[in-house]
Amino acid sequence: MDLRETADEIAFRLEARTWLEANVPSEPLPSFDTAEGFALHRQWEKKLYDGRWSAVSWPEQYGGRGADYIKWLIFEEEYYRAGAPGRVNQNGIFLLGPTIMEVGTDAQKEKFLPTMASSEIVWGQAWSEPNAGSDLAGIKSKAMRDGDDWILNGQKIWASRAVWADWCFGIFRTDPEAERHRGLTFILCPLNLPGITVRPIAQLDGDTGFAEIFFDDVRVPVENTLGEVDKGWGVAMATAGFERGVSLRSPARFSEAVNRLVQLWNRLGDKSDTALADAVTDVWMQAEGYRLHTYQTVTGMLEGRPIGAEASLNKIFWSEMDVRIHEIALQIIGPEAERMEGPLERWVDGFLFSLSGPIYAGTNEIQRNIIADRVLQLPKGM
Amino acid sequence: MKFSFTDDQRLFAEGLRDLLANECPASLVREVWENGTGHSPELWSHLSGMGVLSIMAPESDGGMGGSFVDAILLFQELGRAAVPGPVLEHMAVAVPAIASTTFGAPLIAGDSIATLWVDDSPYVAHAAVADVIVRKDHVLESFDATDAHGMDGGRRLFTVAGGERTNANANVGGLDPFDAMALASAAYLIGLSERMIEIAAEYARVREQFGKPIGSFQAVKHLMSDALLKVEFAKAPTYRAAFSASTGADTTTRDISMAKALASEAAYRTSRSTMQVHGGIGYTWEADLQLWMKKAWALMRSYGDANFHRRRVSGFVLA
Ligand SMILES: Cc1cc2nc3c(=O)[nH]c(=O)nc-3n(C[C@H](O)[C@H](O)[C@H](O)COP(=O)(O)OP(=O)(O)OC[C@H]3O[C@@H](n4cnc5c(N)ncnc54)[C@H](O)[C@@H]3O)c2cc1C
Repeated sequence: MDLRETADEIAFRLEARTWLEANVPSEPLPSFDTAEGFALHRQWEKKLYDGRWSAVSWPEQYGGRGADYIKWLIFEEEYYRAGAPGRVNQNGIFLLGPTIMEVGTDAQKEKFLPTMASSEIVWGQAWSEPNAGSDLAGIKSKAMRDGDDWILNGQKIWASRAVWADWCFGIFRTDPEAERHRGLTFILCPLNLPGITVRPIAQLDGDTGFAEIFFDDVRVPVENTLGEVDKGWGVAMATAGFERGVSLRSPARFSEAVNRLVQLWNRLGDKSDTALADAVTDVWMQAEGYRLHTYQTVTGMLEGRPIGAEASLNKIFWSEMDVRIHEIALQIIGPEAERMEGPLERWVDGFLFSLSGPIYAGTNEIQRNIIADRVLQLPKGM
Repeated sequence: MKFSFTDDQRLFAEGLRDLLANECPASLVREVWENGTGHSPELWSHLSGMGVLSIMAPESDGGMGGSFVDAILLFQELGRAAVPGPVLEHMAVAVPAIASTTFGAPLIAGDSIATLWVDDSPYVAHAAVADVIVRKDHVLESFDATDAHGMDGGRRLFTVAGGERTNANANVGGLDPFDAMALASAAYLIGLSERMIEIAAEYARVREQFGKPIGSFQAVKHLMSDALLKVEFAKAPTYRAAFSASTGADTTTRDISMAKALASEAAYRTSRSTMQVHGGIGYTWEADLQLWMKKAWALMRSYGDANFHRRRVSGFVLA
């Protein structure tokens, strides 16, 4: 155990810091859930890519730096420290990208990874359906084979950023006879094809941050299949494990948020309210605990101990912590917490968004079931 | 940056786990509760024989020169087995702090037993089985110990009077004995919690109601998952505190406080949830769970409780 950074890690940190200081926009960009904001975030991603910072942990040949996970965490710390924009292609770079690297063909890697790293193509995740959310294996959207094509039919929902995204990665039922988890196939699909209708959905804050996607006899070539036909569930779960485990919410996000919370407390907090002071310290400790836990997980991964069902613990931890951070902030800011626009709007916005954390990427109830069944080995419920 | 234990550190901890599985079953813990000693000389000599008790003795005094990082998984394993007697006090404070005094050699050999009296408490745990009591600035021998009726029969509590006093500065590599014990007990509390969760999970797999194992009920699953969550997220902070203490980092006090606050809360939550999972049997003297719960309730309040340590963290973090 040595929790000090190596000279190489320090150099990497400084390189990232220097680049970010010189390049991060001085004014925050408009929300990427608006047309204008989306376009500006895509430009930002291109800039990151040109500096080779968009996907630091990817191999160099696809636009990355071949950085190990520790360096990725360091980069993330610098990224949030610099107040850099949200990652509009998160679903591509952190979810789909690693999955393609694991199960994709060489041709798929060549075709999809560089344009993903540069955000020339922004990806949406099309898994959930109106009647298949927590019970994801209950999806009904179908892909039927016709010569060298798949014909897609059905409806997806809650696809983040799909309003302006270019492609989506979905799971479709390819063998209606098979048991629910079998007979699903992971398919990549452009969103501008004939037969596709994208219907924006306004989120709690009013912006159209996600969308429904309707597929009506949409034709895509079978080369767009990721992994084996009828084995899409396994591919999807590999993606989801990585998402819950480490990549979706890096600790830096919360370290940065609690640092802002401490500043907020110092500036506006009623210092006689010791209960609230304790609450601030509690979430500070949670963010610090999450950071340490992640460094430990990642060291384990580097030493050949991959993350398993424990990933579900992380997902519960960060999502509940995020809600708590924002609840406390709103308590500190008092009447300002009722305003959607104003000097402290970021906290109010952040509060609304934090409430979706316990829902997306598998609800926290589902994560608790997974922990009970797979980590604690309790008998299956249903 | 490398946040993991070496193979040697892991293997030592596994070896200790194996030893304790044989030499410290719940029946032994219960026996020392019931015979009133709160200590097992046989177990003590096994721990001494394996080199556990003296792991933190300086090399210059014939010890292994182990750091807190070397010892932290051992504290955790001792907790898993709810090992009775003054093991933590002896290992984490007495041995490293006064090894080079005249008291040192028999302590390192395990022939003499030490416990600790911290300034914030009127009570001394394990005093009746200890040959010496270590205090911040002196060591006591030949004292009188009066039973104060502690709740944990593996950690009997006493008031102490009289005794021969020898001046000695008990710090553990610059660390106050209180902080050294806060750190060691954080790890011990984690071990206790891990085992409480295992005991409850074992029970939930076999106890049936409504024709099904109770572990198949979601309310039970979620109680257990939430306990595990707290325990798992107390670990990395505790290991980090061990690293800080080992390297004399500026943040050591803060880091130890964070570990003790999180571990205390995790252990309490775990005791509540795992007792609930047991139903009526959880409220009995007979159920082994109490051997772990009461130790947790004793240690979570000792060497600073969660509130004390949270406030100490606040002192570093706020303003
Ligand atoms: C902001 C946001 C972004 C999203 N982005 C995407 C995206 O990009 N792509 C995508 O495919 N999906 C996305 N989702 C969808 C998300 O994954 C689903 O909303 C989620 O899986 C829950 O499904 P559901 O909404 O159908 O709720 P339901 O499954 O109907 O759940 C409703 C409630 O019932 C509980 N429940 C259900 N089953 C159980 C059970 N077995 N045990 C205990 N409780 C249970 C749930 O925990 C929840 O509290 C997003 C959602 C949000 C909020």
